[in-house]
Amino acid sequence: MKKFFSLILLIIIVVGMIYTIHQIPFGKNQSKIGKYFVANGKDETGAANIVTSVVVGYRSFDTLGEVTVLFLAAIGLGAILTTTKKQNHDIEKASLILNTGCRFLFPLVLLFSAYIFIHGHLSPGGGFQGGAVVASGFLLIYLACPGKRINKVGNTISESVGGLIFIILGAIGLFVGDRYFLANFLPKGELNTLFSAGIIPIIYIALGFKVGSELNSVIDKMMEES
Amino acid sequence: MKEITYINPVLLIAVPLALAFIIPILKFVWEKSIKWIPVAGFLFDLIVSITLIPIVLQKNIIVKIGGTTTPFSINLVVGPAGLLLSIMISLAGFLVAIYALKYIQEGDKTKYHILFMLLLTGAIGVVLTGDIFNLFVFFEVLCISSYALVGYLGNRAGIESSIKYLIQGSIGSSLLLVGIGLIYGQYGTLNMADLAAQIKTADSISLFVPMFFMITGLGIEAAIFPLNSWLPDAHSSAPSSISAVLSGIAIEVGLYAMMRILFTIFAAESFMGFLLFLGVITLLIGEMSAFSQNNIKRMLAYSSIGQIGLIVFAFSIATASGLSGGFFQMISHTLNKALLFLATGFMIYRTGSMEISSFRGLGKKMPLTALFFTIGTFSIIGLPPFVGFASKFLIFKAALAKQELLFIILIAVIILTTVIEGAYFFRIIQTLYFKESDDKSSKQESAITALIPMFIFALLILILGIYPNWIMKFIHSAASELLNKMSYLRSVLG
Amino acid sequence: MDFLYNYIYYIGAFGLILIGLYILLVKHNLIKMIIGLSILETGVNLFIITLGYLDNGTAPIFSKENLESNMMVDPVPQALVLTAIVIGLAVLALALSLAIRLYDSFKTLNLKKIKEQKW
Repeated sequence: MKKFFSLILLIIIVVGMIYTIHQIPFGKNQSKIGKYFVANGKDETGAANIVTSVVVGYRSFDTLGEVTVLFLAAIGLGAILTTTKKQNHDIEKASLILNTGCRFLFPLVLLFSAYIFIHGHLSPGGGFQGGAVVASGFLLIYLACPGKRINKVGNTISESVGGLIFIILGAIGLFVGDRYFLANFLPKGELNTLFSAGIIPIIYIALGFKVGSELNSVIDKMMEES
Repeated sequence: MKEITYINPVLLIAVPLALAFIIPILKFVWEKSIKWIPVAGFLFDLIVSITLIPIVLQKNIIVKIGGTTTPFSINLVVGPAGLLLSIMISLAGFLVAIYALKYIQEGDKTKYHILFMLLLTGAIGVVLTGDIFNLFVFFEVLCISSYALVGYLGNRAGIESSIKYLIQGSIGSSLLLVGIGLIYGQYGTLNMADLAAQIKTADSISLFVPMFFMITGLGIEAAIFPLNSWLPDAHSSAPSSISAVLSGIAIEVGLYAMMRILFTIFAAESFMGFLLFLGVITLLIGEMSAFSQNNIKRMLAYSSIGQIGLIVFAFSIATASGLSGGFFQMISHTLNKALLFLATGFMIYRTGSMEISSFRGLGKKMPLTALFFTIGTFSIIGLPPFVGFASKFLIFKAALAKQELLFIILIAVIILTTVIEGAYFFRIIQTLYFKESDDKSSKQESAITALIPMFIFALLILILGIYPNWIMKFIHSAASELLNKMSYLRSVLG
Repeated sequence: MDFLYNYIYYIGAFGLILIGLYILLVKHNLIKMIIGLSILETGVNLFIITLGYLDNGTAPIFSKENLESNMMVDPVPQALVLTAIVIGLAVLALALSLAIRLYDSFKTLNLKKIKEQKW
């Protein structure tokens, strides 16, 4: 009976959606604000990657909220999982090949992630993607070398400092130039070079550290539980 | 024209966020100071919000963020309505943070303070933003911190309620996101004012569908009738200081976001008749369920559902006086419910039980706490001279001014629910004062840091009840801002 | 064929949304519900990214000199989906941690068997 009503509800939703979708032309035109961004984005922010200029330029306030959500996830996870008792499992040691291979790969993974978030304004990628790659490197170590843990103090500090840099850079914009929050007050530089786009690469580097350490603390908590 | 200098309202959001990011470092350096950080943050917000009142009463403040061209970058719109809510949020945040200095003893206290701060910062973001996707992001900040805080104590009830809340809340957020996507696909913009300029009425079905999704998504957080099954569990299992904020702020913020979308973006006058009934049904169901509860926190949670129903009813009248009544009822509900939950928190702490019957004789053992609790109940029932009377009176006046039979019938239903409300609240007061307790333990008040915020709430309830005219001008301009779509458009798009 | 060409992404997105919603409405196992939530979020993200599609469009990156801005896909949905993915991840992490604690407390993940809180 419940399934039947669920299906009826879903069918109503589908009909409504299909009706609405008819109004939206598919693959034909760019939207109003999208058009503006691809036309003016590279001149106004100096970033070759227009998605980056939207994420860290025009809609950077969203990104601030997004970082906060990730911070919340790490904190909330910690708050919920603190009170559990620690159990001791027998951990099977990883084989030599796995162990060595992972330790060999780990610095390379970190290097790659640094490349991704430093070049966020030039190529696909950015702070979030780079941070995810950082966390995947640490996950590799967690899985291959049982018993190794991250340095929690350092992790917390890089988490907090990353967020603070974002907000402080934004607040500096309140006193410089056009006087708005998250203004791009540094020189734009030449398009398509590493030192361009003003504060965007700095924010992305800070975000890379912050996202990486937040995902690390999520992984750390989850690994402690299992 | 003389340019008036004021503090940039974006700091209302940025400063608490920065403070929340600092807290984890402070844990290593100076752990004792952590619990004072939320107090400081919300005191700052409260002062800044109050200094903005005279400017906002003249014209809306538009704050540009990340770019200067209006429909393309995000902007905050600080109008009277948003500022009213923001003052209430920072006031409640400030007082509840003081209360939490002594109240929070279990769990990871550092994390509690971070989550508490981010919850209210998210709420301020929702009420001030002028961009529909930004609203979604801050809404998620609000929701995710409340999921974590409901499960914060880690007991069986908390975990179960948190799971329920999380599942339903995430469905709501996904629906809201689908609605935003459909709107973006059709109009190619995310700015609320720009959307409102392009949408004339919500009559066509291609607009009704996204509106339906967005209203459903926000309605889950606002706990409107068919979507409120998470609320009594979540609000009763959280720590009392959090229940105060969830009941007093979180659901009202959800409701405000919903009304902002309905009034400003869609101008959906025809939808209001439907909401009118939903509001009255929510009120009736909330109060009737509250009547049959023995657990005091569940009872207060159901009473919150009822109050939300009343606010929805007031907003759905869709006249200036109706909206004023709605805003006044929001203020009154925040003050009353926060006071009730704070008083209940220490009463539960003292007796060790949430059953109403265990509160026998507390009127003698905790005279001040019981007195504040009584003031809260009298106000929520709507007895003069407390603020609840003034707000209910405004709503009745607005509904009767419509001069339709329908409204007279609905008013009769609302008066009936007030009687129910009175019956179950007087039962508690009777238990508090007129029943002798079994144990003869000595008199012991709540902690002084808990009594001060309760006293301030009670004082505000009394003062605003006796002199409602002090804030009526502000409330009227908030109501006319929410109702008048064209002036909002002009202020943003120029 | 033309119909399929025009709407295949929407069909996929709404298919995922509906599968997710159906799982959430019908199933009682918490892990299954979390999977449903994840599918629902993926569907929503796919739907939003589809809104920005442009026939024969290029990625919105000026990596070469001679790229035309009017042939680039809409960058806004990509930025929105980046935000939405991160939010989805946060909710997922929180839900899984709650599931761990739920199993610790109740020794079951079936929400139908857990009925301590009721109206």
